[in-house]
Amino acid sequence: MPVIEYKCPNCGGGMEFDSGTGMLSCPSCGRKDDIGQIPDPLKQQVFTEDEVKEYHCESCGAVIVTEPETSATSCSFCGSAVVLSERLTGKLAPAQVIPFAISKEEAMAAFKKWCRKGRLTPKGFMTADRVQGITGVYVPFWLYDLHNDIDVHGHGTKVRSYTRGDYRITETEHYEIYRKIRLDYARLPVDASQKMNDELMDKLEPFPYDRLKPFKTPYLAGYIAEKYSYTDEELTPRAKEKTAPYVESYIASTVSGYTTVNLSDKQVHTQVKRSDYVLLPVWMVYYDYNRKPYIFAMNGQTGKIVGKPPISKGKVAAWFAGISGITFLSLKLVAWMMGGGWL
Amino acid sequence: MIRRMKSFWLTTALGLMVLWLMVPAAAQQAAASGDASRLIYDDARLLNQADYDELDAMAREYGAKHEIEIIILTTENPENRDVVQLTEDFYDAQGPGYDKAHGDTIMLTMDMRNRDIYLAGFYKGEEYFDDARLDRIREKMTPLLSAGEYRQAFETFIKTVDRYMNYKPGFNPDNILFNLWFQLGAALAIGGIAVGVMAYRSGGRVTVNGGTYEDSGNSGVLQREDRYIRTTVTKRKIEKSSSSSGGGGGTTSGGHSHSGSRGSF
Repeated sequence: MPVIEYKCPNCGGGMEFDSGTGMLSCPSCGRKDDIGQIPDPLKQQVFTEDEVKEYHCESCGAVIVTEPETSATSCSFCGSAVVLSERLTGKLAPAQVIPFAISKEEAMAAFKKWCRKGRLTPKGFMTADRVQGITGVYVPFWLYDLHNDIDVHGHGTKVRSYTRGDYRITETEHYEIYRKIRLDYARLPVDASQKMNDELMDKLEPFPYDRLKPFKTPYLAGYIAEKYSYTDEELTPRAKEKTAPYVESYIASTVSGYTTVNLSDKQVHTQVKRSDYVLLPVWMVYYDYNRKPYIFAMNGQTGKIVGKPPISKGKVAAWFAGISGITFLSLKLVAWMMGGGWL
Repeated sequence: MIRRMKSFWLTTALGLMVLWLMVPAAAQQAAASGDASRLIYDDARLLNQADYDELDAMAREYGAKHEIEIIILTTENPENRDVVQLTEDFYDAQGPGYDKAHGDTIMLTMDMRNRDIYLAGFYKGEEYFDDARLDRIREKMTPLLSAGEYRQAFETFIKTVDRYMNYKPGFNPDNILFNLWFQLGAALAIGGIAVGVMAYRSGGRVTVNGGTYEDSGNSGVLQREDRYIRTTVTKRKIEKSSSSSGGGGGTTSGGHSHSGSRGSF
């Protein structure tokens, strides 16, 4: 039985995860179940590899149309929340999940407010009346614990300069620099979904890790969930790439007091101590404007919105003219107050 | 009504003065007789008549505009006196001034014997032309003087005096803030940068940094070494500027305080 549904024990209606209370709730009768207390049906299942690859909705019997990455969705015919258990077990079992804290309505309202706030967005876009759809997606992430052993060799100088008589004397002290650094990073998130734009996902950070919960399928009820497209091993280079600038700035912070520093030899050995598969909540907003699709993402916990809105040329020109004009006038005013006249 | 009358008389008087000045012969005559209104004392004969007239007219025009007497004194310095002394004695003896005798004056003295130059500002001249401003004017003139372009140097002097009088005392008139092109360029640059930042940030910003994920309890420098190797020393002779300068203002023996800038050419 690869499809899991959440039937209300009271009325038989389909239950969904409620972001407001953090409970599994029944929209028909109002019953609320604490997800931590109820047994997860996933755990009771025996799953065999050669299971059929077609899923049927438990409620209406219709074929559930999904993409190969989807692990949770709703039946396109009857709307019941369904979880495809085979895509959440074994290697694909997430360790933890951060549930949604922002409901669909709140997300929509926040998005509209954000559109109005855009200083360069065209007027027609600001009304946010062409939102094609808003979808709550649990995006697969790997959380890496990285251990870096760093050895740095370099050369530094301290320059002192003074005047004696008719001579300008410059004394340069040369130093050999060595640093051995241990630098650990904990729970560095890397998006493991092929579909999601990496840049967009990076900007959504940070996610509040104190909200991480042991994974249970009811959290997914009513949302879309995806399984990872890349394994933790495949994404390790990306994790290193993400930490590279952090490592650089850390190294730089340990070398101070020099006039010039040239770190000629940097050895960074990165070791993955641990990688956890987690699902993080993201609201995806699809918006058509001037027949062009725009995609925005919202952190399902913090409400941070990212994504490139269209830019109005007129507004850019107006802001540019306004700021330049005001700056010019203020410069003139300063010059005038200093007695410069208006010419 | 009374004010209007006053201004009428003033205009008439000024008009008459201008008329009088426009007669070169009269001006030359006045100059020869050491009249108080003489502005250019070219005792060293550096200027021909045409240049003299032109500079004289300029000095009068700009002097009247800013209500300050612009005096130029050139001398062969037969008694070999110091250029500052020459300036002070001249001021005490001649008592130039736009508002009154021993009044508002800016003065340029050229000692052709020792090739020294001194600029001095008296009263309003001292207020508007502090040592720093006089230094700037002198620096503008020195290359011209060294090249023997006296007329052009004096013209630079008068024109710079005219320009500097527009700026309140105490500010550097050559401050880049006063430059129109700088103002325009800076305004456009700031506008461009602001809009660029707005456009860049419209898509959301990265709000995490190295500290966000750093496990500070397990991180740190395990070993550090800053080993001194050697010291290298370089010595460079300080180039002295060819035209020496120094000294500021002072007070004349007649008790007139002044600002000053001295140099050679």
